[in-house]
Amino acid sequence: MAEEVTFKCLRCGYEFKGTYDRKVPEERECPKCGSNSIRPLPKKKEK
Amino acid sequence: MMDVGRHPKINLLAYSEIEEITGYIGNFHVKVRKKARYVDEKACTACDECVKVCPVVMPDEHQLGLSTRKAIYMPFAQAVPASYLINMEDCLGNNPIACDKCAEVCDPKCIDFDQQDEFVEFDVGVAIVATGMYVCDPTILDEYRYTKYENVITSWEFEILTGPGYVTKGELLRPTDRKPPKNIAFIQCVGSRSEKRGNPYCSNICCMNTVKDTLFLKEHHPEIDCSVFYMDIRSFGKGYEELYKRSKAVGVKYIRGIPGDIVEDPKTKNLIVTVENTTTGKIEKHEFEMVVLSIGVIPRPETEQIQRALTLSKAPCGFLMETHYQLDPIDSPTGGVFLAGCCESPKDIKSSVIQASGAASRAETLLTTGKVKVEAITSTIIPDMCKACGICADACPYGSITVDRKAKTPAVVVEAACKGCGTCGAECRFDAIEMKHFTDRQIMAMIDAMFEEKPEEKICIFACNWCSYGGADLAGLSRMQYPPNGRIIRTMCSGRVDEKFIWHAFKKGAPVVLVSGCHFADCHYINANRWTQKRIEGMWNKLERKGIRPKRLQLEWISAAEAVKWTKVMHAVEDLRKTVTKEEIEETKKILSDKKKG
Repeated sequence: MAEEVTFKCLRCGYEFKGTYDRKVPEERECPKCGSNSIRPLPKKKEK
Repeated sequence: MMDVGRHPKINLLAYSEIEEITGYIGNFHVKVRKKARYVDEKACTACDECVKVCPVVMPDEHQLGLSTRKAIYMPFAQAVPASYLINMEDCLGNNPIACDKCAEVCDPKCIDFDQQDEFVEFDVGVAIVATGMYVCDPTILDEYRYTKYENVITSWEFEILTGPGYVTKGELLRPTDRKPPKNIAFIQCVGSRSEKRGNPYCSNICCMNTVKDTLFLKEHHPEIDCSVFYMDIRSFGKGYEELYKRSKAVGVKYIRGIPGDIVEDPKTKNLIVTVENTTTGKIEKHEFEMVVLSIGVIPRPETEQIQRALTLSKAPCGFLMETHYQLDPIDSPTGGVFLAGCCESPKDIKSSVIQASGAASRAETLLTTGKVKVEAITSTIIPDMCKACGICADACPYGSITVDRKAKTPAVVVEAACKGCGTCGAECRFDAIEMKHFTDRQIMAMIDAMFEEKPEEKICIFACNWCSYGGADLAGLSRMQYPPNGRIIRTMCSGRVDEKFIWHAFKKGAPVVLVSGCHFADCHYINANRWTQKRIEGMWNKLERKGIRPKRLQLEWISAAEAVKWTKVMHAVEDLRKTVTKEEIEETKKILSDKKKG
């Protein structure tokens, strides 16, 4: 299921929000530098 | 259609739906649901007596509800076979029989209320997909008020209103007062060439359809004043420019500018169109009695079912992908499946006929040869290592791997269907799949050789054969300058890049690893590069957990035409490499050789 996550560009470090669905892969691009190394940051577990 | 219906070697299954297609090139098995017509199509003489007595009147879907049909009807005048069918949801004569009038007047006794859907199964060697197109929804552009004003119609409705099958027998009447209009405006690119609303692509046929409509109007009703609002007229085909010029010569006005608003005069029901004329640079208002929206085309929604069944890939615009848009525009990526007509992209009749003839020819060549050349690079299962987990079958874009998970028998690769992307090999956790010419041993040996000397200065690059490697090649041919310390390992697809190759490169001292493949829309193996992304995303998390900077593993989609992007990426990864110290590399090696952490 699609969820709201923070993406981080592994080239320039820019962070942005977007929807992420592991089952529906999408080509992603950093809006700042154009890199495709966009990592969906894992959600931090609440203590 | 008549020729197709009469041909002794063509079995036409009308009013039917594909339920299932399995198999591969030369061995497809098809299951078709032949929907019940409740009329014996062979006995029916299309005498029309049943239609005359049927008391049910319903909107005719084929005529977009602009005219009516009976519960027993022929979908359209030229339908093949020329036989009626009963829509059971509308019919009064079924269970319990309350009407039965059609059966009473039918002399050949071909009405059969007990008819059931029938399943037909057969084997075929090849398949041609020709599912056609549909039109896009004009309501997305609400400034044209299609749903509010009756005199705003679509080009499809215009076609029906002026057709000989319509109640007016082709005479165009204004919907509000049933009088012939004095002037008509055509608005182009409704739902096409728009990034935000509608579709970004050009629908290809609308310009010439409007030119044809204006000529038709001028021929039959020279008194009607026609205006066309357009961005640019795309009269690309043979004779099309002449047709466009003829349309202008007979007095059709072409105004360059797309209207921003339509307002109706409540008294006259005339439509006031506001437009910025880009030739004069002025805002103009024009009054028309009717407006025709030239709507764009979209793929038919039903195509998706065929796409899934035949493991075809879809371009971002929704049309089916050909193997190569220039060099192989008829073949689909799945062996033995060919594309014809608008399922592949919007096109006019001539182009559809050309593609259909090509597809028929390709199919015939294959069938008469009776043999197919199997790819040299295919995957092979090592039965002793296979645990029948089935992940390879899930990963295969072509459905060429079968596995019986319950029986735990080793997976089987159908070599005729395998295209050699290697995704199965990369996904297999038990090393039970070997890719011919791209074996694990070969790739590992390349990594070993790469980092024999000064590993801290090298960048390990995995590039797919079709796109990224081509991009690198073009950068070289174009004499573009980029850092020379990148070492490329070519794989057929980025889907072949196994996690263990990347771990091995880091173990050997790689400061940075780059995995590069085709853009999603260009993947030569349907969707194999989606697995690459999934894998790399997983690896970023693993790297972080191990205390290794995830950014040392980079992922890029570079096409064969993107030499500039390749160069830019090479500079970026080199900048990144410079930030990786010898100590960090040693630490990484230590982490990965530590059995607990690595």
